[in-house]
Amino acid sequence: MIEHEVQTDQPQVLSGLLAEFTDQQGLLEAAQGVREAGLRRTDCFSPYPVHGMERALGIRNTPLPWLVLFAGFAGCVVALLMQWWTNAVDYPFLISGKPLFSLPANIPVTFELIVLFSAFTAFFAVLALNGLPRFHNPLFQHERFRRASSDRFFILVEASDPQFDAIRLRELFQSHGAVSVEQVMADPTPARIPLAVHLTGVIVLCLAFIPPLWIARDRSTTSDVPRIHPVPDMDFQPKFKPQAETSLFADGRTMRLPVAGTIARGELNDDEHFVRGIVANAFATTFPAQAMPLDQVMMARGRERFNIYCATCHGLAGDGNGITSQRALARADSPNWRPPLSLHSQGVLEMPIGKLFFTITNGVDRQNDGNLSMPAYDVQIPPRDRWAIVLYVLALQRSRNAELNDLPEGARESLALPDIAQ
Amino acid sequence: MLKHDIPQLGDDDNLTLSRIPPRLISGAAAAGGIILLIALLLGWAAKDSFTYFFHAYLVSFSFYLSISLGALFLVTLHHASRAGWSVCVRRVSEIVAANVLLMAILFLPILLVAIFGGKTLYVWTNLAAIEDEHVRHILEGKSAYLNLWFFTLRAVIYFAVWGGLIWFFWKRSLEQDKSGDVTLSLKMEKVSYPALILFALTITFAAFDWIMSLTPVWFSTIFGVYFFSGAVVGGLSTIILVLIALQGRGRLTTAVTPDHYHELGKLLFAFIIFWGYMAFSQYMLIWYANMPEETVWYLPRQRHGWLAVSLILLFGHLLIPFFGLMSRQVKRRKALLGFWAVWMLVVHWLDVQYLVMPHVNETGFPLGPMDICCLAGVGLIFLAGLLFFAGHRPLVPTKDPRLGESLGFENL
Amino acid sequence: MAVVDNTFNDPALRAPLITGRADLASITDTVCEITEQYRPPRSWYVAFIASLSLLGMLGLSIIYLIATGVGVWGNNSPVFWGWPIVNFVFWVGIGHAGTLISAILFLFRQQWRTSINRMAEAMTIFAVTCAGVFPGIHVGRVWLAYWLAPYPNYLGMWPNFRSPLLWDVFAVSTYASVSALFWYLGMIPDLATLRDRATTKIRKLAYGVASLGWTGSARAWHRYERAYLLLAALATPLVLSVHSVVSFDFAVAQVPGWHTTIFPPYFVAGAIFSGFAMVVTLAVPARAYFGLKNLITMRHLENMTKVILATSCMVGYAYGVELFTAWYSQNPNETFLFLGNRPFGPYAPAYWTMVTCNVLIPQLFWFRKCRTTPWMMVIIALLVNVGMWMERFVIMMSLTRDYLPSSWGSFIPTPIDVVMLIGSFGLFFTLFLLFCRYLPMVAMAEVKTVLPHGHQP
Repeated sequence: MIEHEVQTDQPQVLSGLLAEFTDQQGLLEAAQGVREAGLRRTDCFSPYPVHGMERALGIRNTPLPWLVLFAGFAGCVVALLMQWWTNAVDYPFLISGKPLFSLPANIPVTFELIVLFSAFTAFFAVLALNGLPRFHNPLFQHERFRRASSDRFFILVEASDPQFDAIRLRELFQSHGAVSVEQVMADPTPARIPLAVHLTGVIVLCLAFIPPLWIARDRSTTSDVPRIHPVPDMDFQPKFKPQAETSLFADGRTMRLPVAGTIARGELNDDEHFVRGIVANAFATTFPAQAMPLDQVMMARGRERFNIYCATCHGLAGDGNGITSQRALARADSPNWRPPLSLHSQGVLEMPIGKLFFTITNGVDRQNDGNLSMPAYDVQIPPRDRWAIVLYVLALQRSRNAELNDLPEGARESLALPDIAQ
Repeated sequence: MLKHDIPQLGDDDNLTLSRIPPRLISGAAAAGGIILLIALLLGWAAKDSFTYFFHAYLVSFSFYLSISLGALFLVTLHHASRAGWSVCVRRVSEIVAANVLLMAILFLPILLVAIFGGKTLYVWTNLAAIEDEHVRHILEGKSAYLNLWFFTLRAVIYFAVWGGLIWFFWKRSLEQDKSGDVTLSLKMEKVSYPALILFALTITFAAFDWIMSLTPVWFSTIFGVYFFSGAVVGGLSTIILVLIALQGRGRLTTAVTPDHYHELGKLLFAFIIFWGYMAFSQYMLIWYANMPEETVWYLPRQRHGWLAVSLILLFGHLLIPFFGLMSRQVKRRKALLGFWAVWMLVVHWLDVQYLVMPHVNETGFPLGPMDICCLAGVGLIFLAGLLFFAGHRPLVPTKDPRLGESLGFENL
Repeated sequence: MAVVDNTFNDPALRAPLITGRADLASITDTVCEITEQYRPPRSWYVAFIASLSLLGMLGLSIIYLIATGVGVWGNNSPVFWGWPIVNFVFWVGIGHAGTLISAILFLFRQQWRTSINRMAEAMTIFAVTCAGVFPGIHVGRVWLAYWLAPYPNYLGMWPNFRSPLLWDVFAVSTYASVSALFWYLGMIPDLATLRDRATTKIRKLAYGVASLGWTGSARAWHRYERAYLLLAALATPLVLSVHSVVSFDFAVAQVPGWHTTIFPPYFVAGAIFSGFAMVVTLAVPARAYFGLKNLITMRHLENMTKVILATSCMVGYAYGVELFTAWYSQNPNETFLFLGNRPFGPYAPAYWTMVTCNVLIPQLFWFRKCRTTPWMMVIIALLVNVGMWMERFVIMMSLTRDYLPSSWGSFIPTPIDVVMLIGSFGLFFTLFLLFCRYLPMVAMAEVKTVLPHGHQP
């Protein structure tokens, strides 16, 4: 039986009684004995968790699992909301045909966040519940207590327990085989933190504000200083950009023309009839196969295209009095304006359809001076649409020269033509 | 962790089901047979050349087979891991596993219909009848594996392996009850290691042969593991229910404690998650890659009533029991654990249904009289098998060297 | 001290996990004295300087890479990922054994884990550190790596959460941080032991701060055990998820040889396989060198070899099922890759090394002699790690044989690739040697719980 008192200069008060045991059995029995004696403010210390101690000390279950469960739910909700909002609402973009909010693809990140939230909660909650970190503990003043983390077992009864009776307790401990009993003295005055620590804390706190302030300033202001190029050879690459100059080629351009005779994919227009309206070096007199069938759909297409491209000059009915032409003729400042032909003029009526097509395609140079009086439309109107326009032009022409036989049988009677009857 | 006072095994009355009248066993088997006959008649009345009936039968067969295989795995794992706690529940596992012998007989209808039934069950048995030329071409390429001779041979091998294993363990285990010979434990342990390898291979290819080849153009490498995970869930649930039933009849009252239930519950919990992991791995990869040759299997399972079944499996086979079995108290209480065991058996059956039935009924989830009759018929025969194997024998390995460890087992 | 053979197998008797003078004080002394020597033996310095120089090589090659660009690697079209991802998957896999030992074996109540879990967890963290280097520098502009994180930015953009590469960012960073927490939580009581034995001022301060004022109070232990159990229960699915997500990097793609449904469990089994091999490689010399033979006994080593054998069989199963399914699918690309290109193509040596080292050689552990002879297990474990590196390489080389023969290619590593792989071992061993020097290598508090309690003085 050894007695120790801790000697210090500080004014101290008795805070508890600490008994030391050599094995866990002694500790368990002592803990039970203390509990049976009605003492509650007790704690045991051991180098490893001693089973049965929960029962002996009457330790209640910890709320830790519930905290972790809650954190897991929070992680789940946060993860799903984050993925839904970022990928489906705020910045929606399609990846490999998946729905914007695709649950199977969101499960991995959701799972990881559940685990992350739960694990951090478990870790920090156990520290918080255990009151750690706590660097000041009166027990650390006891030389013998250092073995609590190696091979000795301790029980502490706090003096604040209403049933605390140092003498009786000492006897109780000894009866259970304690190898030493010590008084634990605590300094009642609050621990004073040195000024240096305070100062360091304040300085670190101030310094910690600098980076976020710096970032905030840089992001809210503009600057004419060129940005930093950490890897210049990625930002300034030795390569030729389009529309730039170079001394490499005689014409000084970086962009090269394609080799003469190059034809782009799908643009090998070798069908003279369809593309130019020419058959065997003469203007075609029939529609090409690609324009077939000549039906209502084709006619409607032709009418629509005609009204868009042709009617501004030639007029909706083809009389050569389109709105552009009328305006040009009305103005004095356009003396070179050549009024468009009426599509019902004799020359046009006699044209083979291949010539009509050719004219739409290549335009007309009526004065033969290199200036097109009617521009070429091959670039704007695809070949099949040009044939549709030709078809519509034929219909317009026929509308002025129609005969009764052109009407189907049943419709002829419906025409009331009194003046012809006279 | 050992308790300080180890409970004792009860007397013989507590340890055996000595008074099972043989009539009960044969009666259960006969009733099962009659119900199966009713199902067959219903199948005849359906006038679909028994297609539906045989699929329903395949579901029931696979369901009960998976239970026995799950139990067989647990027995083998017990030996391989030198487990101590599970000694008290090992004999019950052996009884459930022994039914695999019965399943060999119940397999015969499937084998016969595969051989003689044309394309009633397995399309690949009759290549000439396949209209789609592309499918036929693929199946012709597979015919070195998917042909009747090899199919039959493999089935023989599977049942020989399973039957041989359970026969080996069963015999040594009963022998030890009499002699108490410690070396028998060592022998069983030695065999258990190659047994696990054989088990892994056979259950994988059995799942490929009997279930995956229903959609013969489809393939998934994880399918064997998926079937295995469900099988262990089924096996564990059945073992739990058998233990509860035995204790309800006053048997094993001291041998099996809440700690054993707790441990079984933890394993069940783990394998439920494992099943979810397998199901998710398979679904996720096929969903993401979105290749027609693979999605062909999932498409019918996401239409009509099968979509509901898929969702029921997601919630009922994974999420709900995950939360249900999380608590320690649930796993330690017989009534609650029993509830979850029944629940898991139901969803496990639904899982097998989900694997097989969309092949024959694409329009929705069918729960016709034929399904019920097959489930009940095979179930009664299975029950008869359980009673047969359980009777007149100790329900725990009474002289296992680790019995004391298991009796004193405490689940902290 | 005589080393007792505790590898016997008697069903009626559980073998002691700690041999020799197994009492509380001697365990404390054995473990703490390693870190308390005033000056470590010369061979530690030799090993440390060697590792440090390899680490220096890694550092220099990273600087060269950043200054020049990722073109210094052998990565090309179509092998865009090349060696960096092989190294990444290799190192992440190594880490998995630590979590398996600390979490999964804990849930399975495998008490033999207590002697090796600290070392294995440390290995986990160092391996994940090595792994993190490779995707980190693979982004090219490393100072923009934070773009991987979802944070509000002036571009108004968010990362793509449907991409497996982003899942990887989340999985690996979660894994690294949870492993670190788990490791540190387990170490707090042992740090307190070191604090209580400390004699110098620096040690008192360092271990005092690190142990957070732990006293070993019964209430603290109660909550601590709860938290430890919860972390184990969280780390178990986490470790499965991490390598599953790594496998998704490949398996969600349609590349032949990558897209197969068994990838997630197969990758996890392979990871644990390689990780245990690394633990054996480290534990055998460490126990001999630091006098831990009574704590890390032959039985511990034998158990680890059994895990290696079991996971080797699982990996072999996955290889087999993959091969079978490649043929069974009758998909010409799969069949070509598995039955033509891998075993007989330009990278056939890697393939056969993989099969030999991963499936055939570990079968030697069926023999008790191999399971109980340290030098044999180290050699087999080293070969396993060669094989597992090759496995990832073989998988990566799938990229050279895409569906279109016009996009076929090949891959040749550059010297920088090789230097970085070797250098990453330098990083790993530097960290490990520092750990051996300054932290408790064995979880003392946990080992003390598995002692037979009668042994105390």
